[in-house]
Amino acid sequence: MKNTVALFVTLALLPWQAASADMADAVKSPKGYGSKDYVWGKLLPEQVEVLRRSGDLARGKEAFRGCRGCHKADAAGVTDGTYPRLTGQHASVVIKQVTEVRGGVRINPKMEPFSAEHAISPQEIADIAVFLESAETTRENGKGEGDFVARGKKLYEQGKCMKCHGINGEGKAEKAYPAIAAQHYGYLKREMDYIQRGVRGNSHPDMVKAIRHYSHRDIEAMADYLSRMPDYRQSLAERKGQ
Amino acid sequence: MRLILHRMRRSGQIALAALISGLLLCPACALAQAVPLQERLQLCAACHSPDGNSLIPENPNLSGLDPDYIVRQLHDFKSGNRKSAVMSGIIPMVDEKEFAALAEFFSRQKPNPGGKSDAKLAAQGREIYDEGIVGSAVPACSGCHNDDGSGTDKYPRIAGQHSAYVVQQLLGFKNGERANDVKAVMRAVAKRMNEKEIRAVAEYVVTLKGAQE
Ligand code: HEC
Ligand code: HEC
Repeated sequence: MKNTVALFVTLALLPWQAASADMADAVKSPKGYGSKDYVWGKLLPEQVEVLRRSGDLARGKEAFRGCRGCHKADAAGVTDGTYPRLTGQHASVVIKQVTEVRGGVRINPKMEPFSAEHAISPQEIADIAVFLESAETTRENGKGEGDFVARGKKLYEQGKCMKCHGINGEGKAEKAYPAIAAQHYGYLKREMDYIQRGVRGNSHPDMVKAIRHYSHRDIEAMADYLSRMPDYRQSLAERKGQ
Repeated sequence: MRLILHRMRRSGQIALAALISGLLLCPACALAQAVPLQERLQLCAACHSPDGNSLIPENPNLSGLDPDYIVRQLHDFKSGNRKSAVMSGIIPMVDEKEFAALAEFFSRQKPNPGGKSDAKLAAQGREIYDEGIVGSAVPACSGCHNDDGSGTDKYPRIAGQHSAYVVQQLLGFKNGERANDVKAVMRAVAKRMNEKEIRAVAEYVVTLKGAQE
């Protein structure tokens, strides 16, 4: 009897525990999207400082040690999408995201203690950004079921997504639009969901608008499609070769 | 001697025991006064062994630790920034001018890994060490301390460290008793772990060999 009760309580708590671990960063940021003074892309003073420094690849690889525990040595994260794949991400995007987490614009309690001012210096952010931009991995990323790829492609290309993130999912380095090709399915799905609900603190208002009318299914289909794209660097090289 | 110290610690008279043992070993250095390295080492050796591979699991191995890390720990014991009932009884006797030579000496001693370990717990610990705990956002220890526990100048060597000491330090980081980690990252790591996970990972750490020359 005791065992049955214990089992019941455990089972009842399970979904809650899973949800609470996952939703820890799904909170509205007081300085971010939806707040009165939020302007997408407004440079924080620290971001300006980091952008002004020139990064060094070897130093960046060493500084990235403090991040490897989650993002792994090849920066490819964890395939279930708990930790994103950062391999090949634009330096401008890395700098924007890290400084905006530090500035409290994007809320990320899992990462915060390891990316805070006491843990890495502005110079190290610049160094890490250079390292990530050129990082390579041999690991496959986490992919969706593959059932709705065609639908995902159509939604991605006919909606407004492609305008900013590109036909190869390559993003735009000069605007700090992230590369999203070959990202983990689970991560793509989660972030799209956060953006739709206005709880990703540094969302672009146009992105929130663009994704607003998509259903849960639509989002899954697009995440599936994007997760099955090759690394954008490979796509761009192939296009050049043609 | 070791046995006596061990019993005294157990009975709670830690600081006193440390002080008395220090006085016995080195009657002239009750107050910080620089003495030659060889003389000072006798004091440290009582607990950390002459080659820095201590025989008492609560006393950490010092062999192969980064010299700057050792110096920083000694300063932190001295200032009270790192609390330890035992070391706080010892450190007043040591002059800060001696720290560099002591650190240099212990960092050059050859580690002697291969302590006893519970194989079943160590297997669970290995998973945590290499992969972290995804559900509770515990980063993999290997990310910072290296796969083999050899560490770097920023992240201390932990390979082959006594599991009792590792457990005690992780619990200390977790409850904030040890709060001298410069980057505060060890506190962030340990806070996300429960005691069972801490014990498991410590059983794995003791089996690590570190970089072999
Ligand atoms: C009475 C026993 C004793 C003596 C004598 C002693 N230590 Fe310790 N030492 C300890 C214990 C116990 C700890 C663990 C402290 C804690 O709880 O954090 C420690 C910790 C340390 C640490 C920190 C190690 C780490 O990995 O962070 C250093 C460095 C150290 N001792 C150096 C010395 C030196 C140098 C001497 C000689 C001057 C010395 N100790 C003498 C018992 C002793
Ligand atoms: C983000 C980097 C990082 C990660 C991940 C990390 N550590 Fe640490 N660890 C450190 C730093 C930095 C210190 C040094 C603290 C100080 O400055 O006193 C340290 C210190 C320690 C110490 C104390 C060493 C001594 O000699 O007293 C132990 C034990 C330890 N870590 C174990 C672990 C274990 C086990 C894990 C995995 C669960 C882990 N660490 C994960 C950065 C890290």
